[in-house]
Amino acid sequence: MKRKSEVRSRRSEFYGSGIAVSLLAVLLVVVSIVAVMKGAVKIDFFGMSEIEREILFYVRVPRVFMAGLVGSALAFSGVLFQYVMKNPLADSFTTGVSASSAMGAVIAIMLGLGVVIPLFALAGGIIGLIAVYKIASVRGRVQPITMLLAGIVISTFSSATISFMKFLSDDAVSSIIFWLMGGFQSASVKKVAILGFVIALSYLMIRRDYLSLDIICFDDTTAVSSGVSVERLRRKAFFVAALLTAFSVGYAGIIGFVGLIVPHIIRLLRFVKASELIPLSLLGGAFFMILNDLIARTILAEGQELPVGIITSSVGGVFFLYLLIKRKKELYYFD
Amino acid sequence: MKSGVKSQKSEGYPKRSLIFWGRRVGRFIFLQVLTLTLFFSFIGVSHAYNRIVVLYAAASPVLKELKAGDKVVGVTRTDRTFDNVTRVGSHLRPNIELLKALKPDLIVAGSKRAFPESFSKELKVDVFYFDPRTLDEILVKIKKLGDLLDRKKEATTLVHRLKEKLSEIKPLNKRPTVIYEISARPLKVAGSRSIITSIIERAGGINLVTVKKKHVLISPEKVIKLAPEIYIYQVGPMNKNPEHPKKREFFRSLKSRVIRVDEYEFARPGINAFDAVLELNRIFSEIE
Repeated sequence: MKRKSEVRSRRSEFYGSGIAVSLLAVLLVVVSIVAVMKGAVKIDFFGMSEIEREILFYVRVPRVFMAGLVGSALAFSGVLFQYVMKNPLADSFTTGVSASSAMGAVIAIMLGLGVVIPLFALAGGIIGLIAVYKIASVRGRVQPITMLLAGIVISTFSSATISFMKFLSDDAVSSIIFWLMGGFQSASVKKVAILGFVIALSYLMIRRDYLSLDIICFDDTTAVSSGVSVERLRRKAFFVAALLTAFSVGYAGIIGFVGLIVPHIIRLLRFVKASELIPLSLLGGAFFMILNDLIARTILAEGQELPVGIITSSVGGVFFLYLLIKRKKELYYFD
Repeated sequence: MKSGVKSQKSEGYPKRSLIFWGRRVGRFIFLQVLTLTLFFSFIGVSHAYNRIVVLYAAASPVLKELKAGDKVVGVTRTDRTFDNVTRVGSHLRPNIELLKALKPDLIVAGSKRAFPESFSKELKVDVFYFDPRTLDEILVKIKKLGDLLDRKKEATTLVHRLKEKLSEIKPLNKRPTVIYEISARPLKVAGSRSIITSIIERAGGINLVTVKKKHVLISPEKVIKLAPEIYIYQVGPMNKNPEHPKKREFFRSLKSRVIRVDEYEFARPGINAFDAVLELNRIFSEIE
């Protein structure tokens, strides 16, 4: 009797996540279609001119894909950071990876190496990652809380370095600030292909460890006794998350709150297992970012744009405030 | 009582009240102060500003042309117009201690945002804002600086010379449409409130971006749709080593003629702007 109810519950969970994935996929397709149809230039889809065709295929479509992929990468990295740190408020900002990647990118801007910004961002992200890991490890073991503190230190140091570079380059300061606010103006098919490959690779690397990720949410002793190599898994998840963040920052600048807000909404919908949380976060991140970019590039007249980071941070901030007020009791309960 | 008063008047020494004398003394002091104020203000106009700090590099060549270079005691760290003067930091963050130590009587700043009025009050120094948005405004500012520094003759000569330059502009049969790139990452172009728009228009072109801003963060698709005949991209601190526009994937359909210019020559609202007009006019003529 008990076994039957267990099977029924598993089935309903499976169908539940299946329905959620399907729904989110439909929403993603809808928002993508709207994003392709709307923009600074009105395109006549039934009688496209040559210029309109060029705009559609080499500007708008790559941009929509790029926004979706960056959204997915940031949401995915947010989930992984939250598993590694055992903290639902962890994301690429709190772990210092975002700021150290931005530091690398700003160095490239300062040196006038605009073409290799993603490489510098990647290098910065990896340096930040190694620094955090070295600071937080004691005799080969990493404590999540120490890692979080080390992340804050690295983030503060990177931010200070960025400020110093802004100070040194007075004339370029507005370019640096605008770049840091994030955007997808320079989207291209090549970048879409590279980012798509990185996300697919990361997903395949983590896919096997869903159960282990759920287990490391308990204490380390329980996880180790369950046969999980906690340190190895943390290292791997941290590396993948840092890689995703570095590529996102390199291609689109700093875009806040996505890694925090998307996994939170998915959890609010009662999808807490890694096998549900990660695929749904990938889809949700893409949906959220495409929508925000659509707003950023259509809200102003005459082809003007807003940096997308302003929109995500505003939406994210308001939503987080709502969460804090509405779910105060539950948050205290978890404490 | 009455007889007493009469007797005093008859002696020729009328008794004056305290109020009467007070008024006379007051009038005397007022006239003295007025005379002295007028005198010193006159003296002040001709010799007021002898220690100038220039916080906006575009204004330095103007001061040099006005032969007021000997009065300049401080400049920003990137300003190379004057040697042997103190570098007081950047135009956005000048070092207040250094400024105080230089004891300037005039600061030439780029804008109120860069050097707020509260700073001038704190330093007890006059500020002249050199923030022209058009070529005509540059000429007005030069004249004002000439008045302030008692270099009216030099200012008139300079204004005349710059106007002469503008008379060299060759008329064009057709005005070319232009978009001017400020920075590639992110893509920002010159709006209607930029000095660049004035340069383009005087050179005979039309800036297609009419947004009432200095710099406009613009969608690449809008640039393609506007299809400018000439796409100018500047190279300098605001746009370090930009990729050639035609090599950027999102601009692959851009049919415009691409021209590379020096940011220092085009984007600074100073004397250089007049040379930029001639240079641009020459390019427009050649293309035509």
